[in-house]
Amino acid sequence: MSKKVQVKICFGTHCYVMGGSHLEMLEESLPAELKDYVEVSGSPCFGHCEEKTAGTPPFVEVNGTIIEKANIELIINYIREVLADGIRE
Amino acid sequence: MNQSPFFIEIDTFSRMKEGEPICGDCFVTKKVKTEQRMVIVLSDGLGSGVKANVLGSMTASMAANFIVQHEPVQRTATAIMKTLPVDSERQMSYATFTIIDIRHDGETHIVEYGNPRCEIIGIDGVRTPERKKVYVDEFADESRVMFTFSFKAKKEDRIVFYSDGVTQAGMGSLNYPFGWEEGGVRTYLMNHLKDTPQISARDLVRKVVSHAVAKDYFAPKDDISCGVVYFRKPRKMLICTGPPYHNEDDARMADLLNRFDGKKVICGGTTARIVSRELNRDVKVGMVSEGGLPPSSKIEGFDLVTEGILTLGRVTKLLDELNSTTINGDGPAVEMIRQFFESDEIKFLVGTKINEAHQDPNLPVELEIRRNVVKKIVRLLEEKFFKEVTIQYI
Ligand code: FES
Repeated sequence: MSKKVQVKICFGTHCYVMGGSHLEMLEESLPAELKDYVEVSGSPCFGHCEEKTAGTPPFVEVNGTIIEKANIELIINYIREVLADGIRE
Repeated sequence: MNQSPFFIEIDTFSRMKEGEPICGDCFVTKKVKTEQRMVIVLSDGLGSGVKANVLGSMTASMAANFIVQHEPVQRTATAIMKTLPVDSERQMSYATFTIIDIRHDGETHIVEYGNPRCEIIGIDGVRTPERKKVYVDEFADESRVMFTFSFKAKKEDRIVFYSDGVTQAGMGSLNYPFGWEEGGVRTYLMNHLKDTPQISARDLVRKVVSHAVAKDYFAPKDDISCGVVYFRKPRKMLICTGPPYHNEDDARMADLLNRFDGKKVICGGTTARIVSRELNRDVKVGMVSEGGLPPSSKIEGFDLVTEGILTLGRVTKLLDELNSTTINGDGPAVEMIRQFFESDEIKFLVGTKINEAHQDPNLPVELEIRRNVVKKIVRLLEEKFFKEVTIQYI
């Protein structure tokens, strides 16, 4: 696998007050076996908070897919899925 | 002071005598907007500690109020002497003062009483306007005499004034048996200005005071204070916050920012996104929040890019609490305040589109309306820190 899974955390106002502030711990919380396959970065407001259909903040994008009501556990599970899919392909 | 040929930067700084809880040197600065005037007073109360502070602050505020009202200096001085409480040990009431009255075109009047002389330093060296003697009242002897003088300041002139804690610093030491003395301070200033001709008033007052403190072996034997007035070319800053009301104005906003000559700050995630899109530059966001605020980001060409409303709220709170231009710590709000302090003319470009999501009653905190927070910040910057501030809505 050459490409890492790209995780973008929204640090916009809305996401931040809705729990996104905890997500800065994500990088440290990554299980050791995932660390080399994931790249975490921050982002200003994605704009999803203003689209009624996008769901509830905080938002995180994993390889471009929006995750709503994001928390660390949810993100890690999703990363696992993406990696598993990648291996299957 | 818009038509002024220069910006008048004023800053003051004090260190207390070792072991005292409060400073006996007091500064008062008043801005008379309608007349485009500034009056600054430094008063040194007799002795040190609380008693000196009472004398000093009474003197400074009375002098400032009288001079703002155009009272003659003699009447001002007499009124102060009559009002000051008498020291029980020394059976006298005494506080020195330096009054600096500046018009926006540079016309300056100075009154000195008991403090070391102030230095007027321009590009071509020290200026020594002729001083006139004025007796405090008709019974006054030679010890109760004031000096007054006037001059017209030019761009790059500085007025440096200080308390005797500065001139007496180091007194009794081998190198400075009589203290730093006026001549010593002058030489120091000249050398320093030769090396850093653009040094701000803010930095210069701190330099002078810390130098004097060092001469007292870091345990000041008296209150040590310095003030500087610097007639400078204004340092400009543009801070842009909030998306424009009409989407069509996005490009105009980005263009205004891009072409601005001075410091540029973006405050708000959506604003940052717009600028990044319009100017085709990446936004890089840090990963660590500092002081409980979302981390700041980086866009090439900008001095600071922060989150919006939470950061502005914190800036308001910090500005409200601050009593000087000394600010410690890190984080986006502190960083923004530092940018303000390093600027003279600050322009807010405020986007007026309402973020509907912020009105969501389910939010765990109440988010203030951007416009209102900006107004509060503007008022603090103008009234407390004497910045020239303008707001443009877009
Ligand atoms: S604040 Fe996260 S999407 Fe707007």
